[in-house]
Amino acid sequence: MTGRPASPATEAPPLLDIENLTVGFHTGTEDASMPLQGVNLRVPHASRMSLVGESGSGKSLTASAVIGMLPEGAEILRGSIRLGGEDLIGAPKRRLRDLRGRQIAIMFQNPRASLNPVLTVGGQIAEVIRTHSDAGRRESHRRAVDLLDQMGVPDARRRAGDYVHQYSGGMAQRAALAMALSCQPDLLIADEPTTGLDATLQQQVLELVVEQVSDRGASLLLITHDIAIARQTCERTAVMYAGRVMESGPTASVTSSPANPYTTALLRAFATVDEGRMYAIPGTVPTLFGPLAECPFASRCPEAGDVCRDGVPELRAIEDREVACVKA
Amino acid sequence: MHLAVYVLRRLAYMLVALFGVSLVAFVVTRLLPGNPAYMIVGEMADESTVIAVTERLGLNLPIHEQYFRYIQQLASGDLGDSWRTRNPVTTDIGSRWPATIELGSAALILALAWSVPLGIVSALRRHSISDRLANALSGFGVSIPEFFLGMILLLVFFATLEWAPPALGRTLGDVPPHTTGLYTVDAVLAGDWEAFKAAAVQMILPAVTLAVTVGAPMVRVTRGFMRETMASHHIRSARALGVPERSIVLRHALPNVLLPVSTMGAIMYGYLLGGTVLVEFVFARPGIGKYAIDSISESDFAPVLAAVLLSALSYLVVYLVMDILHFVIDPRTRT
Ligand SMILES: Nc1ncnc2c1ncn2[C@@H]1O[C@H](COP(=O)(O)OP(=O)(O)OP(=O)(O)O)[C@@H](O)[C@H]1O
Ligand code: SF4
Ligand SMILES: [Mg+2]
Repeated sequence: MTGRPASPATEAPPLLDIENLTVGFHTGTEDASMPLQGVNLRVPHASRMSLVGESGSGKSLTASAVIGMLPEGAEILRGSIRLGGEDLIGAPKRRLRDLRGRQIAIMFQNPRASLNPVLTVGGQIAEVIRTHSDAGRRESHRRAVDLLDQMGVPDARRRAGDYVHQYSGGMAQRAALAMALSCQPDLLIADEPTTGLDATLQQQVLELVVEQVSDRGASLLLITHDIAIARQTCERTAVMYAGRVMESGPTASVTSSPANPYTTALLRAFATVDEGRMYAIPGTVPTLFGPLAECPFASRCPEAGDVCRDGVPELRAIEDREVACVKA
Repeated sequence: MHLAVYVLRRLAYMLVALFGVSLVAFVVTRLLPGNPAYMIVGEMADESTVIAVTERLGLNLPIHEQYFRYIQQLASGDLGDSWRTRNPVTTDIGSRWPATIELGSAALILALAWSVPLGIVSALRRHSISDRLANALSGFGVSIPEFFLGMILLLVFFATLEWAPPALGRTLGDVPPHTTGLYTVDAVLAGDWEAFKAAAVQMILPAVTLAVTVGAPMVRVTRGFMRETMASHHIRSARALGVPERSIVLRHALPNVLLPVSTMGAIMYGYLLGGTVLVEFVFARPGIGKYAIDSISESDFAPVLAAVLLSALSYLVVYLVMDILHFVIDPRTRT
C-alpha cells in the first residue's frame, strides 16, 4: 500500500494531493474499523473532479479528513494530505482553522440544515468574511449582499436580512454556496450538494456551482452517487470502493470504457436504475476491520481469480488513467 | 401570525383552563370529609346553630348550585372568606403571596446561575471534570427531597455552625414600609440597608434549597440541548468555514440552546410561584404553600381553592409571558 503511480510529466503539480490515506476508528489495535484503506487522489489546479461510489465507500470521510474534521474517535493512521504542497496532517489546529474557508471550503448535503436558524443568512456569510479578512462589519455585510446577488438570489439586499426558514430549498443552496465561496477558496468540496432538490433545481444549482468555481479559477471536488451528475459537471472522476480509489481518470473515458470491474458493475447498476429497473451489484460491501489483505471487490467481482487474493491491488497508471486491478 | 391575535387566543385559552381547574378543585374540596360548620361553631355547639351556619355558608345546597355561587363570587373578584383567619381570602393572599414571590424569584435566579453555565460547559467537554460535576450535582438535586435538604442545611448552618439565623419567618429585623410587599425590594427602595440584610438573610437557606432541587433537572436539560446543538449540521458547517470556536459557542450555539432552556425556566418559575409547601413549612415562611396546608387541615375551603387557582394562574401567566418573549425573539415564529 505504499507505491503510487508517478504523475505524467504533462500534468501540473496538483492542488490537492492525497496519498495512501488510511483512517481508523478506535485507535491502536490493528483490527479496529478502518473505513479508509490507502486513498490516493489528486485534484489539479482549476479543475473539477468527481468522487463517486456506493454508500459507505468512504467519500465523506475522505472529505472530512481533508478539512481536518474527522468524526470523534477517528484517527489518521497513515498517509499524507497536501494542499498546494503544504502538509495538512501535521499542521497545527490554528493553521487548519485558518485554511478552512479561506483555501478549502466545504458544502454539505442539506443546505437548510447547514445554515443557523437563529442568525440571518447575510450575517452568517459576513461573519465568515470577517473571520478571514480584516473587513469591518459594514464592509463584510456589503460583500455578503454582493455574493448573494452573484449567486442569483433576487433582491439580495433584503434577503440578506432574512433567516434560512424564509428561503426555499434552491435559494438556501445558493446562500450556502455564497457562504462557501465568500473567501475565494482554491478548493470547493461539495458533498452531495443537490440531494433532495428536484431535477430542475438540481440542474440550475450544478450549473451555478460550475460557473462560480470556474470563474474564480478554483477547483471542485464533487462527491456524488449520481454518475450522470459526474458526467455533466466534472472533467475527471475517481471511483471509490471500500475505502480505496479503484479507478480514476477523465470522466468520459472512465464512464464509457471502464478499466476496473467495479466501475463496470457500478455503471451497470446506475444505468438500470435510470431505466427504472433494479440492478444492484450482487453481494455486500465488506465491513472493514483491520487492513485489507486482498482486493476489496474480490468477493463480488465476476472476474476475480486467485491473483486477486494475493494482495491489495495498487493504483497503476494505464493509458489515460489510474486503475487498481490486477487484471487491467 | 399577528402578536395581538396570538395573545388574545392564549388569554381565552387561559380562562378555559382556569375554569377547568376551579371546577375540579371545587368538587374535590367539597368531597373531602368534614363539615366546616362544625369547625366554625365548635364541637359543643347545638344542632340548630350548626344548621344555621351550614345554611349561611350554602353548604346545604346541591353541589352544582354551590359551584355557580362560587363562580359568581369569583367573577366579582371575591375569593370568599377564611373562617380560620377571619379575613377575606384576598387580604390573606395579599400579605402572603409576596413572601412566595420573593423566595421563588430568588430561588430561580440562583438556580439559573448555577445550572445553565454548568450545563453548557459540561456539554462542551464530555467526561471532563465539569461533566462529572454536572452529573454528581444534578443527580443529588434530583434525588433529594426538598424538605430533607432544607433540614440538613438548617442542621449544618443554623444548629451546628450558627452562621444562619433561626428559621422564623421572613425577617427578624424591621419590616420595611410597604411598596411591593417583597421585603428585600421594599428595603432597598426605602434605602434601609439593615432591613434588607435582615430579610435577605432569612431567604438564603430556603432559596438555596430550592435552587438545588429546581436547578438539578435544568443542568441536564441544558446539557442535552447544548450537546444536540453542537452536533448539528449548521455548527459543523460554520466550523468547516473556519469560524472561531468562541463564536461557535457564544453566537452560533447559545441562542439555539437558550430558547428551549428558558421554557424550562418558566415551568420552574410557575412551580415556585404556586408556593413550595414543604420548604415554606420547614423554614416557617408565611407564603401561599403554608397558607394552603394550614387551611386544608382545618377544612377551610376558600383559601384552599384560592391557592389552587393561584398556582394554576402562576403557571399560565409565566408560560404566556415566555411564549410572547419567544414570539418576539425567535425568528422562526416570524414569517
Ligand atoms: N462517525 C463514525 N463512526 C464510525 N464509523 C464511521 C463514522 N463515519 C463513517 N464511518 C464509517 O466509514 C464508512 C464510510 O463512511 P462515509 O460517510 O465516508 O461514506 P460515504 O461514501 O460518504 O457514503 P454515503 O454515500 O452514504 O454518504 C462508513 O461505512 C462507516 O463504516
Ligand atoms: S483485482 Fe480482481 S477482484 Fe479486484 S477488481 Fe480486479 S479482477 Fe476484480
Ligand atoms: Mg457521504
